[in-house]
Amino acid sequence: MTDTDIPAPERSSARSYRLTEDIAAGLFLALIAAFFLWQAWDLPLGRLRAMGPGMLPVSIAAILGAGGLMLALAAFLKGGPILTTPHVRGLFFILGGIILFGLLIRTMGLIVAGPVAMIFGSFATSEVRPVEAVIFALVMTAFCILLFKYALGLPIPVVAFM
Amino acid sequence: MDLISNLSLGFGVAFTVQNIFLCFIGCMIGTLVGVLPGVGPVATIAMLLPITFGLDPTGALIMLAGIYYGAQYGGSTTAILVNIPGEATAVVTTLDGHQMAKQGRAGAALGVAALGSFFAGCVATIFIAAMGAPLTKLAQLFGPAEYFSLMVMGLVFSTVLARGSIFKALLMVFLGLLLATVGTDLETGQERMTLGIQQLSDGVDFAPLAMGIFGFAEIIRNLENPEARDVVRGKIGKLMPSWAEIKQSVPPVLRGTFIGGLLGILPGNGAVLGPFASYTMEKKLAKDPSRFGKGAIEGVAGPEAANNAGAQTAFIPLLTLGIPPNAVMALMVGAMTIHGIIPGPQVMTKNPDLFWGMIASMWIGNAMLVIINLPLVGMWVKLLKVPYRLMFPAIMIFCCIGIYSINNSVQDVYFTAFFALLGYILIKLGFEPAPMLLGFVLGKLMEEKLRQSLILSRGSFMTFVERPVSGVLLAVAVIMLVIALLPSINKKRDAVFQE
Repeated sequence: MTDTDIPAPERSSARSYRLTEDIAAGLFLALIAAFFLWQAWDLPLGRLRAMGPGMLPVSIAAILGAGGLMLALAAFLKGGPILTTPHVRGLFFILGGIILFGLLIRTMGLIVAGPVAMIFGSFATSEVRPVEAVIFALVMTAFCILLFKYALGLPIPVVAFM
Repeated sequence: MDLISNLSLGFGVAFTVQNIFLCFIGCMIGTLVGVLPGVGPVATIAMLLPITFGLDPTGALIMLAGIYYGAQYGGSTTAILVNIPGEATAVVTTLDGHQMAKQGRAGAALGVAALGSFFAGCVATIFIAAMGAPLTKLAQLFGPAEYFSLMVMGLVFSTVLARGSIFKALLMVFLGLLLATVGTDLETGQERMTLGIQQLSDGVDFAPLAMGIFGFAEIIRNLENPEARDVVRGKIGKLMPSWAEIKQSVPPVLRGTFIGGLLGILPGNGAVLGPFASYTMEKKLAKDPSRFGKGAIEGVAGPEAANNAGAQTAFIPLLTLGIPPNAVMALMVGAMTIHGIIPGPQVMTKNPDLFWGMIASMWIGNAMLVIINLPLVGMWVKLLKVPYRLMFPAIMIFCCIGIYSINNSVQDVYFTAFFALLGYILIKLGFEPAPMLLGFVLGKLMEEKLRQSLILSRGSFMTFVERPVSGVLLAVAVIMLVIALLPSINKKRDAVFQE
């Protein structure tokens, strides 16, 4: 795990209405809590001496939601570091690569899923060198097939389209 | 002596060709992921779980344990040579270790780190062996209320130890607990919040969650904040520290082993605290504290011993109480349950060869690690020169294959993508994911124990306070939280994490 310091972010004062990190953080948690409350609403609560399935999810979600709102409110009053823009490129290519792997592993096998996911994922950085990425993906896939399929005997489909 | 006969049983198990080989593989992989910044033992062990299905449980655990403590050794190599902590526990080592490297004393720093870790590892092994039996007896006296309170203490501990805001860490714990409630209710069999997805009726799987957050979200974070690698260009120098340096290092190693080992036992990932505590202590005890941060060998020796001792004693809560103190240990629980072993006090009596074999293997592993790390250091340095643009697609493919193979499930792959997104959002919003993971890990067990206690007490929460052991544990948790929130301590805490 690495800890690189993010360059000192701008701070918002109490008067400005820019989205600070903690406002977004608090609202995000409140949203998650609301979703869980909605999902758990119909579960029987039971009583303390014989808890039903709904007791804990509802109480934890309530605490989380209240905490999230407190965090957001405190940040709204105090200000704080501004939320920085997300790394959309990284998200798109990394998540896309994983999903492509999922789509292709059963239908085509590792021999297609591996290179496609890796090459797609490689574009997550602007430093990508396409030719190098393709060669590397092919070599790594071959290595993975040898290692996982033959050396370790995992039942992973290698060629599924034939 | 029981201890000796137990240890000899352990060595008998660990010294088979297969187990030595597995221990070696574990230590190699551990060193590898320790050296490489951006891949940690959590993602690695999650990725390798499917490989262990075919092994016998003892061999599997020996290998996985090797990865975990091997990563502690590898992490210091990167800290010293590149000024980046390869592992979170090596943060402190960058301070003086990298300075030593810049002065041409990299070899001495590496040598002291490895030998100090080895010593700490040996002591911790004996400590686990000695403490295992009494603690197991103690654990058998624990009722549900005590278990619950102990876990509360662990969670409080993990929030105090997380970097950044304690309040936000606390919210992460609750998020983890909430995620843990998804799935079939243990007592009534009713499905909870499964959204009609069949796989969720067993609850959220730990491996996709851990891999999403510690594997993929971490990659996106690293791509966003590329780190400056400051690989030491000069010679590493001779690997053996001089006699004077050894003499200087002995007391810090002893103290570091003691502090790290003690903190490691605490549930809630006390092991992370060890190196910080040791560094602070050495600085306080030093005749000339100004040397610290400029290449003081004590600043490498103490924390390195502490992190290795802590990494090993972290097995104690798992093996004796069945409570995993951190995410790696939670994966160990997974590995054990796959083989039908339920972690807890009964492991030692029911599976003595597993228990003692694993402990003995730690000693063997530590000896191997000195060899893996010192003479082979050149190889690891070369590896550090592989650019990240090649490293992350490789991590990606390994993780994908690993996660698919655990259940041969495509859905797990999609879940991992979902948790990667969640993890990235949380990191972006300034949350520390570790407390969430611990909350998730302990959630199911906590709910079970809470409900059992309340049935026994007829719905009265006083039971947690009235029962003496439980009351003390809760009091410790509250005191810790209050102390950490005191403004003066809070500032110091920030300073520690910023160093």
